[in-house]
Amino acid sequence: MNSMKSLINEIDKLKPVSHVLNKVMELMNDSQRSSSELSEIIIYDPALTANILKACNSTYFGLKTKIDSIQHAITFLGMEEIANLVLLCGCSDEMLQKQEGYGLREGELWRASVSSAIIARDIAKDNSLNEEHFIFTAALLKDIGKIVLNQYVAGSLERIHELVFDQGYSFIEAEKDIIGIDHAELGAIIARRWQFSNKMVEVIHQHHLSEEPAKNIQETSIVYLSDIICMMMGIGVGSDGLAYNFHKDAFEQLGLTDQDIQIIILNFAEKIEKIEGLIGMS
Amino acid sequence: MNTIVGVSDMKVSNDLDSRIITYSLGSCIGIAIYDSAALVGGIAHFMLPDSNLDKEKAMKKPFMFADTCIPKLFKAAYKLGGKKERMRVVLVGGSQILDQKGFFNIGKRNHMAARKIFWKNKVLIDYEDVGGNSNRTIKLEVKTGRIILKVSGKGESVI
Repeated sequence: MNSMKSLINEIDKLKPVSHVLNKVMELMNDSQRSSSELSEIIIYDPALTANILKACNSTYFGLKTKIDSIQHAITFLGMEEIANLVLLCGCSDEMLQKQEGYGLREGELWRASVSSAIIARDIAKDNSLNEEHFIFTAALLKDIGKIVLNQYVAGSLERIHELVFDQGYSFIEAEKDIIGIDHAELGAIIARRWQFSNKMVEVIHQHHLSEEPAKNIQETSIVYLSDIICMMMGIGVGSDGLAYNFHKDAFEQLGLTDQDIQIIILNFAEKIEKIEGLIGMS
Repeated sequence: MNTIVGVSDMKVSNDLDSRIITYSLGSCIGIAIYDSAALVGGIAHFMLPDSNLDKEKAMKKPFMFADTCIPKLFKAAYKLGGKKERMRVVLVGGSQILDQKGFFNIGKRNHMAARKIFWKNKVLIDYEDVGGNSNRTIKLEVKTGRIILKVSGKGESVI
């Protein structure tokens, strides 16, 4: 088992998300927020501003008008969409790297995170939840623990696979058994160190619904479902395969039928190329 | 030259330098076909079993569904000189989440849909590696017809 101290050292090496991201997340939780406040947070970061404008003008949105300022972008696409773009453009560096332990080629963890975030947001919209932005963010960041745990998984992969293939463990249970911590738990520690809200920390911690009460929290269930749907599509699937527990009740809680899942897959697959263009992976 | 087959996609080739690959098959199915006389081969990667889910979308993206994808894969190979009776057929993918059993089991349904289409069209499947919880990648070398399957946790094998 690796000592917690060496893992914490690894967390400290991780480039934290920028203050802008934290400020945007905070603002989006404020019911009194205004578009000028959002614009004010973004415009003093020129690289972020440039990346957001580039994304706004991509084929993903298909706008006929050229967007040339953040305020302009908010007017056209709305605060939710721009806040999501801040996340997409502002926290991808570490997630873009190859994750050898998890068998993910360069960019795949990021592609999976963005895909999961978009699916989760769409499920939240369909269920008329007011927490779209929160759910998008949680789904985007849920696997942040994999970045740090990756090298430990690489060193223990054979033993993890023995537990998964010979003894029927889920991949996350095998991580915990062999390494002493799993990627969801580690993700929650990172989220706490980055001063995310307690609710965000909890959703990241429980995104595989490891503990029974988590199934009753709708936001966590949606993030879990979006992850499962990505796995079915083979997105972000590597050495862990699809070896995660299936929780039928999470689907039922949201009233999702077999056909609904197929429609989610169908609708997502239709826009996958545009999404890859949006995140610069096409 | 590597030719990548994306999700809901299909590629056939008679270019002897070509290696056709599809990565990361979760519940999706990858079908590789090869005619060793014509030196023609192809791979298709579909996601869902039945185009009745949305006929309009199936028209736009036929490789999304088993029933609209598989005939197009074979027809594209015929155009390059391939013959149905000489075709080697390999079917992989259709994985499921742990303990998924019958619920929302798209992997299993994809597999069944493909088998049904082959059976109806009197096409024999030469090799299958389906189900389980693994992630699969399949490659086809057009020159030799060698088909290489990579399964997470189990490594690579030539089939």
